[in-house]
Amino acid sequence: MRGHAPSQAAMMPGSYQGVALCCPVTEPYVRRSDHGAAWFLARALRRLLDAGGVAKTDVDGLCVSSFTSRPDTAVGFTQYVGVSPRVLEWLPMGGACGLIALRRAARAVQAGDAEIVACLAGDTANATSFRDLLAEFSSFARDAVYPYGAGGPNASFALIADAYMRATGATREDFGKLAVAQRANARRNPLALLRGELTMADYLAARPIAEPLHLFDCVMPCAGADGFLVMPEARARRLGLPFVRVLSAIERHNAFPDDPVQLRGGWAMDRDTLWAQAGIGPADVRFVETYDDYPVISMLQFEGLGFCTEGDGPAFVRRHDFTIEGSLPHNTGGGQLSMGQAGAAGGYLGLVEAMRQLLGAAEGRQVTNARHALVSGFGMINYDRGLCSAAAVLARP
Amino acid sequence: MMRLQRCAACGRAQYPPREVCGTCLSDQLTWESADSLPARVLARTRLHHSNEPRFRPHLPLTCGLVRFDAGPVAVCFLADAAVPGDLVRVRMGDNDLLRAE
Repeated sequence: MRGHAPSQAAMMPGSYQGVALCCPVTEPYVRRSDHGAAWFLARALRRLLDAGGVAKTDVDGLCVSSFTSRPDTAVGFTQYVGVSPRVLEWLPMGGACGLIALRRAARAVQAGDAEIVACLAGDTANATSFRDLLAEFSSFARDAVYPYGAGGPNASFALIADAYMRATGATREDFGKLAVAQRANARRNPLALLRGELTMADYLAARPIAEPLHLFDCVMPCAGADGFLVMPEARARRLGLPFVRVLSAIERHNAFPDDPVQLRGGWAMDRDTLWAQAGIGPADVRFVETYDDYPVISMLQFEGLGFCTEGDGPAFVRRHDFTIEGSLPHNTGGGQLSMGQAGAAGGYLGLVEAMRQLLGAAEGRQVTNARHALVSGFGMINYDRGLCSAAAVLARP
Repeated sequence: MMRLQRCAACGRAQYPPREVCGTCLSDQLTWESADSLPARVLARTRLHHSNEPRFRPHLPLTCGLVRFDAGPVAVCFLADAAVPGDLVRVRMGDNDLLRAE
């Protein structure tokens, strides 16, 4: 694999051996809700306890992510739902929060700081919640982005997409191919909010939102929550819970700060470590879950994680079929583009879908022979680019 | 006028402004003022949707990402005709918002 950055090879992180990921749960997404974010998080916690067959008092670690729980954080949530964890993580890292929760929880379990860690992300959605969030998303965004038309992430990603198209020759059809394939996958997923047929003609005819982005390039904000449990394998076995293993996992923040436009995320800095620790390469994973707040960002992940070379994303997309029976199933539940973006839960969606696939629990959309998966996350347009990137290679035991 | 922050210690210009230099962490920051500053357009978008009602009568709006010759990158309003690669001048207009033409 090509090197992009100073080698991290000298510092191979410790193995994730002995860690079990169990019980992917989803509090079903809805377009709008009068409930608060804590309701969604609490419902997901209830589902985790039921799925795991554990008591609330057994949960001694908690990772929480939410945008709309403000002013409350993970701290307030402990009192809200009456838990007393000895490890508590508040992970406001948007599209990377699920993978980062996995990393924090796994290390806490390995170190013995916690035995059962509940990882949760969820948000509500109402008429003003999205605008309120965008207006105060970060100090740089509030002062130096939002006043320029208040386009929100659509505007920021439009600029990245415009630069990417000019740099690589990517076309709207390339982005559309990803969106259309994800819709086909979503049509087999009862949890997806958007299940109507989407053709390439529909995609191309959609109204412009922030050119070059059009309607089907953009996620639909919604309410919902996702979660999973992390515990020692031995505990999962005693509980009779099927589990998924973590072969490797990476995160990186504010990578390549001197790139004038974000044409790569942080994955390139750490992917050699990711694959070396996993002991397999991109060609060995059966399916991929990327963070698809916009199709262009999925392309950056294919490139950054070594599925193709930098700038080769369009050609890569043209030579693959991303549906369930295709050459590289991608965002097998429909991704955020078809499931909806339930705020921070968007950072969990790919992870819980990969767990379901590896556990053989993906029902009408099961990928055959799903042994290894790559899950990738990307989050937080603080100013002009997403600052958080993360990825993990997961395996069925 | 157009103002850009520059670090007195390491000389690096930065945007958005902050209380310390993002390169060397010095808090000895100065303001450079000029009628306008040269920059190059990196990317553009036409906004057809805004999350704020006050912008809606003005849609579509053209916005861009520009790189000042001095180094930093800024989101700004962009002249409708400007495309990536163009050299532009950036000014501060109403409410100190940047406009590149």
